[in-house]
Amino acid sequence: MLRYTVKRLLQLSVALLGLSLLLFAWFKALPGGPENRLLPENATDSQREALRAALGLDEPVWTQYGEFLGRIVRLDFGSSLSSGRPIATELAERLPATVELSLAAMLIAVGLGIPLGYLAAKRRGTWLDFGTVSGSLLGTCIPIFFLAAMLKVVFAQELGWLPTTFRLTAGADFTDVTGLRVLDGIITGEFDIAWDAVKHLILPAIALSSIPLAVIVRITRASVLDVVGEDYVRTADAKGLKPSTVRGRHVMRNAMLPIATIIGLLLGSLFAGAVLTESVFAFGGIGSFVYQATTERDYPALMGFILVIAVFYVVINLLVDLSYGLLDPRVRVRK
Amino acid sequence: MALLEVEDLRVAFGASTAVDGVSFSVAEGQVVGLVGESGCGKSVTSLAIMGLLPKGRGRRARRPVPAAAAEPVGSGLKATTAAPQSITASGGRSRGGADVDGRAVFDGTDLLSLAPAAMRRRRGKDLAMVFQDPLSSLNPVVPIGRQITEVLERHRGLKGDKASKEAAHLLDRVGIPDPARRLKEYPHQLSGGMRQRVLIAIAVACAPRLLIADEPTTALDVTIQAQILELLKDLVETEGTALLMITHDLGVVAGICDEVNVLYSGRVVESAPVRELFARPTHPYTIGLLGSIPRLDLPIHEPLTPIRGSIADVIRWHDGCAFAPRCDRVAASCVEGEPALVGAVHAHRCVMAEEVA
Repeated sequence: MLRYTVKRLLQLSVALLGLSLLLFAWFKALPGGPENRLLPENATDSQREALRAALGLDEPVWTQYGEFLGRIVRLDFGSSLSSGRPIATELAERLPATVELSLAAMLIAVGLGIPLGYLAAKRRGTWLDFGTVSGSLLGTCIPIFFLAAMLKVVFAQELGWLPTTFRLTAGADFTDVTGLRVLDGIITGEFDIAWDAVKHLILPAIALSSIPLAVIVRITRASVLDVVGEDYVRTADAKGLKPSTVRGRHVMRNAMLPIATIIGLLLGSLFAGAVLTESVFAFGGIGSFVYQATTERDYPALMGFILVIAVFYVVINLLVDLSYGLLDPRVRVRK
Repeated sequence: MALLEVEDLRVAFGASTAVDGVSFSVAEGQVVGLVGESGCGKSVTSLAIMGLLPKGRGRRARRPVPAAAAEPVGSGLKATTAAPQSITASGGRSRGGADVDGRAVFDGTDLLSLAPAAMRRRRGKDLAMVFQDPLSSLNPVVPIGRQITEVLERHRGLKGDKASKEAAHLLDRVGIPDPARRLKEYPHQLSGGMRQRVLIAIAVACAPRLLIADEPTTALDVTIQAQILELLKDLVETEGTALLMITHDLGVVAGICDEVNVLYSGRVVESAPVRELFARPTHPYTIGLLGSIPRLDLPIHEPLTPIRGSIADVIRWHDGCAFAPRCDRVAASCVEGEPALVGAVHAHRCVMAEEVA
């Protein structure tokens, strides 16, 4: 297991290095170059040269790449062109909101998706199966921004059951520990804050969970259908085991293998979905930041975002692969 | 009274009948064989006894209703395509479930009429099963120790260390060296023969009175086959377990069985004590099976003698003998109604038997 983990970590660093190379190339390929953005149009050639030298742009490409890499490692992404604040600070402030939203959405998707997918498989061909499958098809078809807007109009504005925007009611006095408001509220014992945060989370989380929920339902259904036909499930039945034991130990443990992979991939893609949801609910996470950066062509900010998301994605994939080793002994032992 | 009495067992999957009135019995300490080629209904019979067939629509399998004007068997395509309608009185769609009818009396209780929960309490305890493919029959992500202890926990109430100790003892009993270490291993770390031993250990964990072995040696190579048969034989002799052996391999039958039932197209076509069957095979199908075994005393290039044709998808015994289209000795009387099973100790289902003998 240790060897496997080390091997995977090495693969991870290679992937990240490749990514930094791509990003650097993208940055270099942008038309104009930074000196044109920073200097007025009537600047002389010698002024341009001086600035290029000052920015290190006259160095060989590889030296520049080395410096670029060095800055990334120090988490120095430069300053945002629109706000002027360091990008790393902006991201760090906003990351917890997005993490909280993504986790909540994933909780809904997994908590509902796996049981629903299991039931659909067990009752294959019934109205329940049909309803679940068509529902999940609908879930993948509705654009997130539309669903988010509809939820907001119906449940927040018309019915008034839930708040329309932000993470907490304005003026709420909260203590910041992890940045995840619900968790903070629980840790500090401020349960009213935690509950307030939950209420603010519900609608955006539902909107964001629609696609992962639909995907998990379908994967679970297919995976369970695959597994229940296996000989070892028949063996388990032949042992006279209780249905709950057969379900948990023999069906679901095997059916979880593909589901775990999908959950990992979905968790990464949730960040992308969060951009739209957060802007609808003014949730104040990375999503809103990127939305702003995109509309204002804030390239350094975008690059910082891409890097953070990429690292997240790669790390999640590593975790999924490691959990795969825990779930499936055949992966663990294979050299 | 035998331990297991199967009477007139019928299994239908929607419109198609898989087992069409099979009766046989197994006594304590006896090894009874169910023999036949793929599709003759031998595995379905065993799964029906174990209550492991997917549930049908609750409709019990009925005796096939003869078509108003029974068509002669030999009339080729037309008869074949007409058959499905003539077989089911109440057609209907099936979701792959089986409709089971008849009786399987085990120690005074009809297993087929037991509620699912009551059957679950008996499965794995009073009657157990060993399956054909030892790799796919073990859960790949659960250590084999757990796969043994879960049955001990369920039926014998053993837990923790006690269960592990007993599991190690069982592995030792089925001839697996270093059992304590093996308990922690996963199925893919064991060889084919070892896996089959594990399956046998699971099956005998609660000292069942009836063991059903469905082609237990088919997936194994010859030397391992012999070892597994020895092990099963030993269990029968020392524990007095009744063994129902399902196989297509007459070598296995000769090696282990006391009584043999030859199945063809969902019915018993011949049943006899094993020596009697090999000495005086009566049904042309049995004769064909015996004749198709490769022989060491014939020249190498001598072609094998197969039974021509293949088993029909649809059972149509009511038209006459289902084996008739493949039989070399077919006569007009073969297709005049259902052939009856005649004889007591050595029974056969062939109207031409006198001529054959």
